[in-house]
Amino acid sequence: MAINNPSVFLLMINGQIEGANFPEYDDLYCKYCFVYGHDWAPTSGLEEGISQITSKGRDSPQRMIWNFPLEITFKSTNPLGWPQIVVSVYGPDTFGNDVVRGYGATHIPFTPGQHTRTIPMFVPESTSRLQKFTSWLLGRRPEFTDPKVVAQGEGRE
Amino acid sequence: MAELHIIGQIVGASGFPQSSLFCKWGIHTGGAWRLLSGLKEGQTQVDLPQTGDMAYWSHPIDLHYTTKGLQGWPKLHLQVWHQDSFGRCQLYGYGYCHVPSSPGHHHVRCVTWRPLGSWQEQIAQTFVGGGPQLRSPDLVYSGADRYRLHTVAMGTVELELGIIMRHFDRYGVES
Repeated sequence: MAINNPSVFLLMINGQIEGANFPEYDDLYCKYCFVYGHDWAPTSGLEEGISQITSKGRDSPQRMIWNFPLEITFKSTNPLGWPQIVVSVYGPDTFGNDVVRGYGATHIPFTPGQHTRTIPMFVPESTSRLQKFTSWLLGRRPEFTDPKVVAQGEGRE
Repeated sequence: MAELHIIGQIVGASGFPQSSLFCKWGIHTGGAWRLLSGLKEGQTQVDLPQTGDMAYWSHPIDLHYTTKGLQGWPKLHLQVWHQDSFGRCQLYGYGYCHVPSSPGHHHVRCVTWRPLGSWQEQIAQTFVGGGPQLRSPDLVYSGADRYRLHTVAMGTVELELGIIMRHFDRYGVES
C-alpha cells in the first residue's frame, strides 16, 4: 500500500492448504515454506509452518483435510523470483518412523482473485534395489536436505 | 478508510455422518479492521433434512467493515455440531475459510475436520458420543501450534458470499 514509492509493490496472499489426496497413505502432516528471489522480502505473516496430522475420514470419500491457514505479504520491486510455495508431506511408515511422502511446489498465482491449485507430489527414489530394501527396513527414505530444492530448476538431472 | 461489505448466507452442510446439524460461526479480523454494523458471530438453527444428505440453514450474513490496512483480512470460522434425538450436542467439525478478496458473488466450500483422540476414546465415541474438542478455538484459523494435533476429515459447509469493496483503490490495492 505504499504508492508514494511506485516501484515497490506488495503481494498479499490469504488462503489455506485445504487437504491432500494420497490413496495409499494415511495419518499425514505437511510442512510448507515459501521460496522467492532476491528482490522479494516477506513483510508480515508466517513464512513456514507445520500442519496437524490428519487421517482419512471414515464416511467421507477418502479425503484428508488440513484446512491449514496461509497468510503472508511480500514486498518487491521486480517480478523475477515470484514466490513459490513448497509443500512437503510426511507420514508414518509400516514401522512407525516418520518418512517423507511427497514434495511439490507451485508458483503463487499472478492475478488478483480467488484461485485453487492442485500440486502433484513426488518423492526421490534410490536407484539400487538393495538400498530400496534397506531404506524400507530401517525407515530412512531418501529425502532432500533442503526442501527448497524442489522450487528450483538447477541440478534436477 | 476502505470499506468492505460481506453479504451472503451459510447455505448448509453435507458429507457428515449424521444429518441433524447446526453451526456456530464467527468472523475474525486483524487489529486494523473495525466492524461498523452487523453481527460477527452467531449460531444457526438445527436442521434435520427430510430427503437427501445436505442440512440447509440459509443463515444470513451481513457485515460492514472498515479498515486502515490489509493485514488480518477477515476469516470466517465455523464449528459444526450434531444434535441427536435426546438433545445432546456433539462436535462434528471445525473449519475456516478466508472471506473472498475480490468483489462479486462467490460460492465457497469450507472443509471441516475434527480432533481425533486415542483409540480408546474413538471406541468410546462410537458408543457414547462426545469426543475431544479444542480448548481454545482460535487454533481453527491460526497455523501456529497445530503440529501437536491429530485430526480426521469431516464434511463440507457451503456458503454463498457477496463482496462489495469501496475505496480500496485509494490505497493502491488492485482487486
